[in-house]
Amino acid sequence: MGVALLEEFGIGDALAREESWRYSKTALRALGQNDFVEADAKLVVPDDLRAQFDWPETRGRRLVFVNGAHSPQHSDAHALESGAMAAQGGTLAFAPTRDGESLHLVYLSLAGTAAARWNASAAIRIAARGIRIVEQHLGTAGADVLGSLRTSVDIAASGEGSLVVLCDLPDSVSLYRREQVGIGARGSHASAHALFGGRLQRHESVVTLAGSQSRHVARGAFVLRGRQHADVHLDVRHVARDTACDVLWRGVADQRSRGILHGAIAVDPGSDGADARLQTKNLLLSAHAEIDAQPVLEIHADEVKASHGATVGQIDANALFYLRSRGISAADARSLLIGGFCREAFADLADPQLLARLGALLDERLPQPAADAP
Amino acid sequence: MLKIDNLHVRVAGKEILKGLSLSVNAGEVHAIMGPNGAGKSTLANVLAGREGYEVDQGSVEYAGRNLLELEPEQRAAEGVFLAFQYPVEIPGVNNTYFLKAALNAQRKRRGEAELDSMQFLKRVREKLRVLHIPEDLMNRAVNAGFSGGEKKRNEIFQMALLEPKLAVLDETDSGLDIDALKMVADGVNAMRDPQRAFVVITHYQRLLDYIVPDFVHVMVDGRIVESGDKALARKLEEHGYAWIGERRVPQQSRVGAA
Repeated sequence: MGVALLEEFGIGDALAREESWRYSKTALRALGQNDFVEADAKLVVPDDLRAQFDWPETRGRRLVFVNGAHSPQHSDAHALESGAMAAQGGTLAFAPTRDGESLHLVYLSLAGTAAARWNASAAIRIAARGIRIVEQHLGTAGADVLGSLRTSVDIAASGEGSLVVLCDLPDSVSLYRREQVGIGARGSHASAHALFGGRLQRHESVVTLAGSQSRHVARGAFVLRGRQHADVHLDVRHVARDTACDVLWRGVADQRSRGILHGAIAVDPGSDGADARLQTKNLLLSAHAEIDAQPVLEIHADEVKASHGATVGQIDANALFYLRSRGISAADARSLLIGGFCREAFADLADPQLLARLGALLDERLPQPAADAP
Repeated sequence: MLKIDNLHVRVAGKEILKGLSLSVNAGEVHAIMGPNGAGKSTLANVLAGREGYEVDQGSVEYAGRNLLELEPEQRAAEGVFLAFQYPVEIPGVNNTYFLKAALNAQRKRRGEAELDSMQFLKRVREKLRVLHIPEDLMNRAVNAGFSGGEKKRNEIFQMALLEPKLAVLDETDSGLDIDALKMVADGVNAMRDPQRAFVVITHYQRLLDYIVPDFVHVMVDGRIVESGDKALARKLEEHGYAWIGERRVPQQSRVGAA
């Protein structure tokens, strides 16, 4: 079964698949020991879970998927322009034409009595400006649930959209997400990912800067503890002139958790004037945690500005002392530093309400100070 | 208030402080001068409780307690403040949030009521006004992207807000232009109080034109070798530290003893 999952999620070419999954192969294989049944889309959504996605600011613009299937019962999309949106079963099509449209997508992984799987897909076509999509993943603890979501985002010439992905998963839930983004001339796309928890989270973001002067900004962070495992693959390809990408990620791993951050930028021949930036910084909080950071730059054009950097480190003793010398306890100082480290990735998020929600989630999911800390 | 007796401190195996003694009473301003490598910053860091400083011998008594057995955050709550020579940049942590957390942590430890946001902001505005610091400083991340002068101003602002009993300024004047220097001096002078003491560590006499000390100590090779009043600072400025080296080094120096 593990091999079957690899084949399903992996790329066709066996060698490339091997390389792409090298840090998560064992985790995927272990997950594959399950005999998955089809996840039940009729399971009851617990109230406390509902409270986590029932945001007042997105009422009328919310679509909820229960174990991969659209649930009209929990959705509330009355404010969305009809025709721009269609959802049935596990598929969603969204093609806003009015500037400033927004959509709140909620994917719930509910545990039943046996290990279960769901599949869903979304096709988003953005021809307007200021389109905002929030995609939220939540779940209940219990039997293993493995969800997979394939999203395509097509940004037309001069289109402008943002995708914010919030994954807050219990340790029994796994998620495979692949988003494929194409951006037309002068179009722009901003993404932000905040990843917490999960047995295995795999996120593949494949962005093609297809039109001249297109632009992509990516921000993200994962915060892991226990035996959680997150594997992030970012691939940005510049295939037109004067394109720009700016990628900034943060990773935090505590206890026995494992994080992988593979960030690749490719500039194709003829894509002169490309400006590519990729920076990832990672924080290891325990001797048993592991983070693999892999920046890759592949440049085949002459007139290119490109920079990349990846670091894995520990909490800065100097900063810790600075905070403590002002009266903040060692445990609180650690939390403050880790929180700040992650917040830095989302500092330029434009939506203050969303930023506040993200901040609250971050505070909740930050590694708890050890009981023996002073 | 502060009584350091025969303090020997080792950093990374090397003895830096070699029998330093100093007494500071409430209301006094002490300046500590000395050449590079004399151990001035080591003294500041030992007082604030930085890790990696091994005390081999001697004692530090503060407000009747053994200061060395307190954690840095306990020292802060007891009223010890260190203005850092190199203030640390903390990206992602908002200055307002940081200072409110610090002040309330100290108050809580002292058994005082914590300030709510309104009370805190009122106090912040008050101090900003006195120090002529623009309010936008509070909305930025702690020291992140600050110029050298802004960082030092932020240190003085923190001191004003936290109202310590003993403030140690570790070369706060280094790298400052004359306007920033005056601002730092104004901040200190505004806080001079019979209940509060300052230990001002500096390389140059210049700062002492603006913060007039009650006592000046010269530190060489891990010890205080000469103590006097502000005239000593001027003498140093004229003759350089070599002049001190030629003089007989006393074993201990006690000025302003309780």
